[in-house]
Amino acid sequence: MSTSFSLYIPRESGMHRLHPLTKLALVAFCLVLGLFLPGVWLTYLVFLLIIVPLAAWAGVLPPFLRAAFKTALPVVISVFLVQGLFWPGGTPILHLGPLSLKQEGLQFAIRSAGRFITVVSSFLLLTFTTRPDGLMLALSQRGFPNSIAYIMLATMQIVPRFQAKANTILDAQRSRGLETEGNLLVRLRALLPLVQPLLLGSIVDIEERAIALEVRAFGRQGPKTSLLVLRDTPAQRVLRWLLLLGMLAVIGWRLYLAIAPRLAA
Amino acid sequence: MIRLRDVTYFYPRATTPALADVTLEIPAGQFCAVIGANGAGKSTLCYTLAGFVPHFYRGKLSGGVEVAGVDVPASSLAKLAGHVGLVFANPFNQITGARFSVREEIAFGLENMGVPLDEMEARVEDILGFAGLRDLAERSPFALSGGQQQRLAIASVLVMRPPVIVLDEPTSQLDPIGSKEVFAVLRDLAATDAATVVLAEQKLEWVAVFADRVLVLHEGRIVADGLPGDVLASADLTQYGLQPTRYTQVARAAQAAGFRADRHDLPVTLEEAVEFFR
Amino acid sequence: MKDDGQRPTEARAPMPIVVEDVSFTYPSGTHALRGVSLRVSPGEAVAIVGENGAGKTTLVKHLNGLLKPGTGRVTIGDWDTREHTVAKMAARVGYVFQNPDDQIVERTVGDEVAFGPRRLGQPAAEQQANVAAALATVGLTEAAKTHPYDLTAPQRKLVTLASVLAMRTPIVIFDEPTMGQDARGVALIGDIVDRLKAEGRTVLTITHDIDFCAAHFGRAIVMADGQVLADGPAADVLTRADVLATTNVEPPQLVRLAQALRLKRAPLTVEEFVAEVVGSE
Repeated sequence: MSTSFSLYIPRESGMHRLHPLTKLALVAFCLVLGLFLPGVWLTYLVFLLIIVPLAAWAGVLPPFLRAAFKTALPVVISVFLVQGLFWPGGTPILHLGPLSLKQEGLQFAIRSAGRFITVVSSFLLLTFTTRPDGLMLALSQRGFPNSIAYIMLATMQIVPRFQAKANTILDAQRSRGLETEGNLLVRLRALLPLVQPLLLGSIVDIEERAIALEVRAFGRQGPKTSLLVLRDTPAQRVLRWLLLLGMLAVIGWRLYLAIAPRLAA
Repeated sequence: MIRLRDVTYFYPRATTPALADVTLEIPAGQFCAVIGANGAGKSTLCYTLAGFVPHFYRGKLSGGVEVAGVDVPASSLAKLAGHVGLVFANPFNQITGARFSVREEIAFGLENMGVPLDEMEARVEDILGFAGLRDLAERSPFALSGGQQQRLAIASVLVMRPPVIVLDEPTSQLDPIGSKEVFAVLRDLAATDAATVVLAEQKLEWVAVFADRVLVLHEGRIVADGLPGDVLASADLTQYGLQPTRYTQVARAAQAAGFRADRHDLPVTLEEAVEFFR
Repeated sequence: MKDDGQRPTEARAPMPIVVEDVSFTYPSGTHALRGVSLRVSPGEAVAIVGENGAGKTTLVKHLNGLLKPGTGRVTIGDWDTREHTVAKMAARVGYVFQNPDDQIVERTVGDEVAFGPRRLGQPAAEQQANVAAALATVGLTEAAKTHPYDLTAPQRKLVTLASVLAMRTPIVIFDEPTMGQDARGVALIGDIVDRLKAEGRTVLTITHDIDFCAAHFGRAIVMADGQVLADGPAADVLTRADVLATTNVEPPQLVRLAQALRLKRAPLTVEEFVAEVVGSE
């Protein structure tokens, strides 16, 4: 039984040792490149030349590629089908019975798929190599609200508990003669009685957990310390600034490309 | 140190008080057990000492509540944290969910208090050994059994070293020897660290052995208050929905059958019962 | 399926429980049961004791098919648990879960108690009678129209007890029935166990409450580390302090007192004890 929703894979790699904010900046940089670079193919270069090598450096390449593939494939396929075949107007390049593949649609699909792959793989890279509590700690240390950091962390662990509780509730009903094995309708009908105890039970849980947090001084103002120590280096600080400047440069360049023709006119 | 003066409390929309005219003083270093039937007000008393009545549950509180030198109604929960520790029955709901190992879970309270790293590490190590959780330190808190989670909940509060510790049936999921060990730990905390310990419990055998003092609550009122030997052997106990220990029960039944009819003090512990029947 | 048409008579049919060399490992790798064998005859009252993590809950979850044996076999009467759904097994084995909030799904106490009988297909008249009797047994007749969550947690536990009693199964299993109950609640649950015994039904309970076990159960099973350490008449098993101590359990108060006084016999009830001591004067 999994006890956490986190995708983090512990490894002793240089990527893992980076400060969470450095990893966050790297990922943001990839996102900006992926979303703002012009043309159809450049975003794929971001994936191949930055994201994949980083995943390899972190020692998580096989699971990373598997997860990226599984997440992106259905979306990529549907984008190609919908945009490629149903593009309104456009230049047909291939006829498939009553349908035809349009050049404009194909280009749009390639660009959208590239962007989607870059976004998904950037987030996967971050979650595979960054302890969620480390990231939240880094953000809190820079003024991110503690309560939001708490909710994000607790959700990761409490969602699987929710599933476990749902299973226990279902077991209790089966033990009283509720048939849950059978066709979809039988199973759907079996799930209905779960809703009330799950909700009422979690209201009680939430109240008690709020009390437990107060007992542990969660609401206390003033400086907090941390058992988890994040290591930062001057080089990483410089790198983060460079990445930020890089992002601004790409966005600025893209804006310029968009506005320049109109200025000229 | 705890001081309650004429405390009466109504939960929101309640027409009968959950606590009525409770006046009570518990000095530092005392281990005080609170017993009573379900609904007698034990949990409410615990929540009042820890400030959740009235700050969390609202409702109407009158009278004075002073705990560890803090005027509870006039203070806030944030200010009370660190002064009063509270442990309650369901250990699962006391896990923060924001930490991924037992060690970090225990440290959570110290982090919020801003305890420096080296001191925090030392205190966490210390309590891990004390609670028998050292071998489980790297596990996810959610991967522990109910009994282990209960020890974690207690350890997570004790590590903050509050001068006043309030526990509401903290041994419900522990096996018999585990429960006894918790009682022994609480007695030692009171005796050696001069902590004030208030424990609501149903396990009267261990109350009899370990507590310094026993309070009986009935319908929100304190109806008996004294040494365990006197309170637990009192004939009134059953009328408050409590059952004396088997030691007292057999002694009373034996007396009714003519055995040691001259004895006025009935045994409440195993040791006393051995002496009574020998 | 052999059960068709048998249900109304299940309660009266003798249903021995046979567990043959059962081992079970959770997907996490925990070996929760290692070669457990036992036989429970109809009408027996059996308490299973042992420390947290000893495998008690895993064992009883095998008795109604919630868990299927990794190796070995579990049969209830002529039913092998692997061949029937849990819902089918419910006609023979009633199971009260430890936490009432995992079990309650209906909006009134009355509907909650009727949940099992309805699923089992009890005829309407029988259903009503069983629900009314079960509510009366736990003292909640007045609460039939109340929302379960308007009751206290210990009362909700009694609702879950009633909801299984109303199913009139030949076998009833309780997981920690006295947890969170005060002395009155414990006495009430003890009465329920005694009544089930008197009706000839089989009762199994998991409990940490060793004095409750001594007072109401004729047979005790001690578990540790997924195995049965001791199994026999409670009067024998509960006196074996050395065996109990290995799984974090102490003998009942009266047994410890009898042993400290070096009595020849260790009585399990107050009456027996007094007869022993006063009789021997």
